[in-house]
Amino acid sequence: MTLIATRPEPGEARPYTFPDLQRVTVAGGTVIGAHLPGQLLATAMLMLDAGAARETRGREGTATVLAKSLEEGTQRRDSAAYAIALESLGAELAPSVDWDTFRVGVSAPVPQLLDAVRLAAEATRTPKLDPADVARVRDDEVTALRMDWAQPGPRADAALRADLFGAAERFGRPMHGDPASVAAVTVDDVLAFHQGWMRRPGVLLVAGDLDTLDLAALGEAAFGGSEGDPLPVEGPLDFSVRDHRRIILVDRPGSVQSTLRIGHRSPERATPDYVQMTLAATILGGAFTSRLNHLIREVKGYTYGIRGSYAMSRRFGRFEVAAGVQTAVTVPAIVDTLGEIDRTQQDGVTEDELAVARSWRAGQLSVEMQTPGSIVGALSTLVLHGLPDDYYPQLRRSYLETPLAEVSAAAGRHLHPHGLTLVVEGDAAIIRDELVAAGIGEIVDADL
Amino acid sequence: MTSPSVPVVTTGYPWPIETTRLANGLRVVVSEDRTAPVVCVNLWYDVGSRHEPAGQTGFAHLFEHLMFEGSQHVAKTEHMRLVQGNGGSLNATTNPDRTNYFETMPAEHLELALWLEADRMGGLVPALTQETLDNQREVVKNERRQRYENVPYGDAWLRLLELLYPVGHPYHHATIGSMEDLNAASLETFKAFHQQYYAPNNAVLTVAGDADPQRVFALAEKYFGLLEPVADIPPAPKGHITQAEPRRETVTAAVPASRIYISHRTHPFGTKGYDAVTVLAAVLGNGRGSRLYQRLADGKRIAQPDYIGSYGVDLAHAPAPLIITATAKDGVAVEELEAGLDEVIASLVTEPVTEDELARAKALLTTAWWRQVSTVGGRADTLSRYTTQFGEPEAAAYRLPEWLAVTADDVTEAAKLLQPESRVTLTYVPEEKA
Repeated sequence: MTLIATRPEPGEARPYTFPDLQRVTVAGGTVIGAHLPGQLLATAMLMLDAGAARETRGREGTATVLAKSLEEGTQRRDSAAYAIALESLGAELAPSVDWDTFRVGVSAPVPQLLDAVRLAAEATRTPKLDPADVARVRDDEVTALRMDWAQPGPRADAALRADLFGAAERFGRPMHGDPASVAAVTVDDVLAFHQGWMRRPGVLLVAGDLDTLDLAALGEAAFGGSEGDPLPVEGPLDFSVRDHRRIILVDRPGSVQSTLRIGHRSPERATPDYVQMTLAATILGGAFTSRLNHLIREVKGYTYGIRGSYAMSRRFGRFEVAAGVQTAVTVPAIVDTLGEIDRTQQDGVTEDELAVARSWRAGQLSVEMQTPGSIVGALSTLVLHGLPDDYYPQLRRSYLETPLAEVSAAAGRHLHPHGLTLVVEGDAAIIRDELVAAGIGEIVDADL
Repeated sequence: MTSPSVPVVTTGYPWPIETTRLANGLRVVVSEDRTAPVVCVNLWYDVGSRHEPAGQTGFAHLFEHLMFEGSQHVAKTEHMRLVQGNGGSLNATTNPDRTNYFETMPAEHLELALWLEADRMGGLVPALTQETLDNQREVVKNERRQRYENVPYGDAWLRLLELLYPVGHPYHHATIGSMEDLNAASLETFKAFHQQYYAPNNAVLTVAGDADPQRVFALAEKYFGLLEPVADIPPAPKGHITQAEPRRETVTAAVPASRIYISHRTHPFGTKGYDAVTVLAAVLGNGRGSRLYQRLADGKRIAQPDYIGSYGVDLAHAPAPLIITATAKDGVAVEELEAGLDEVIASLVTEPVTEDELARAKALLTTAWWRQVSTVGGRADTLSRYTTQFGEPEAAAYRLPEWLAVTADDVTEAAKLLQPESRVTLTYVPEEKA
């Protein structure tokens, strides 16, 4: 025998710690720094209360056009000079927009971070926003969205979102807009968005070696010239889940796979069931050994991978299963998926499954939080959702200790297998008849 | 603001490295770092798609999938459950050169990770069944559909390899393989594949993070030490590149815009020549300050800003490709875009790169290097690579200083490789415009 038959026992675990946090209030804003001793790179992110939710109806994508316009020159230098100044520090600007925030991030070697933040603030606070440049960026963004929408996925995502949140509502439209709404964005929309939402100080998040980094100087760079008080936080949206299923067919002629997006509304991030729902979703569709991935990939071979999760923002949430399945097995894959959602909702989860989900989620808080970028991401969650500094150690304990009955109860409460919207993006000529015959739910063609 | 200058860097790997070699030939590398209570176990097997004979394309990668399906003492599905169920992240990848396997775990589970890796290195064959093969064959075929067939331009890499490397060259075919070959894969072939290549003397084991080197060496001996080495592991077929004529392919397909890929064979990864190509690629196509962006996305405004760039593919066993790509803006003819690319590429010789361009490229490469080694997983993979391909993990420390030592003249010299006479040009044109 050349192999050791017995699986080894774990050694002694070191206690979990989240990096020490420091706060500095300067120039009207707050800097939150996480200490990562010895890290050679540092990351900073200016987070502003200027998310996509603040866009005007019909002009979805305004904030994204603004984000892409920030590097088209500032009041101090043109776009070429700006790019060369920033990239010569080894940094690149990472502006991004989500539902709740507008974020401008930079990473650089520690000695270069302050200059990089100065440049990031220059672009954020005092962009040139020349009308001709903004119009060109807008047109480029329309083209970029068409490129993106030629891939499987974005059209299905849009169809699901419209069905769950209402096509006339902001949250029922794609976060970054669609080619038509971006085409409708005017230069004035972009200027007004900057004027209206980008001038408040916001919060600067920093992760790196705080023995070397000067948080006050970073804050002065980020907040200089800003003004205004924080905006009130709006409450969560009311919602209800339909009492029947609906299939939305998005035609993609010639597609060798069907792209599935299956979901329903769910509570927002502040729900007291957050941990229970996360653990239940991990068992249903989060881990590799989840019920969905095990059955649809590892037993049936229908897909390269299938995932199910709750996504929760400040004002809303949604449950979603996503996969690409071979065209010929579209209906069997859907039937099996519904079966696993139904079983999880009805019968809850088992101790064996929960043990895996607990340890995985708890371990990921160490394993996936090694870099300044990931720590800044963790800080942004604290700020956005008003969570305490010791949140991550608390969360870790909750993952490990939440009783099975609570997780199963959350699955029972927050899964609605009979109220699902099932978006199927694929070759309609091949799959339509079989979908009809399966009797899963009413079928409508996507209006895209 | 101070004017930027390239910082002096004398090493790209400022962490300790300790090595040993077991009697069966397994090389063991440990890089201790107690900062976080996590540890990465990484294995490189010196086998990739370059080893595949005709009719067996995609086998190295399909085999990688089988390595997660159980082994002598690990039941089917248990590998994933034990790693994730103890808090870990895991994956594996196959490329033309090699196959790697890695898991980052909370440090108290180091021994579990080593046990799992040893069991599938030494005990895969008894657990391999026809059912598992048939299932993972379908999974891989779905991977091929999802990543290469169902997305616009998804098969570009497959086509480029065929244009760059002649029939019979180990890089001629893509790692994902063909559907026909995957369908024909037999269980016996995979059993033989494991016995041939998954040997301790064909692998490097690296542990990075919260672990004591002497303890790792002892555990490596305990779990891997009794595995038998394999004599006379056959090398990959030799590749000969004789043709120097330009090659061109135009694909009419369901793509949203015309796109051009220009590619050249350069030097193998790890050589001084390839270091110059790496810096050249950054000068030419990395970031908004690059020549391609400045002249074609900005400047002439004929290329879409989100889809322009250049990069080397770090292959070590033959001249590695440099790929330059741009996508036409609405209303721009593909010929105009190609002429623009030609002009910018030619400018690398006629307008030698400036010190500012060089400094910008090196600053971006410096950040990219430190990002790569900012996790224990990135560090372990880097050390496994340098041990496998260059015989010593310490060689990892030289890459960043070598990049920073590249001169403007070196870049000009590298740019002379990019002559139209040896150019590969792959163009996608939308169906309705054809």
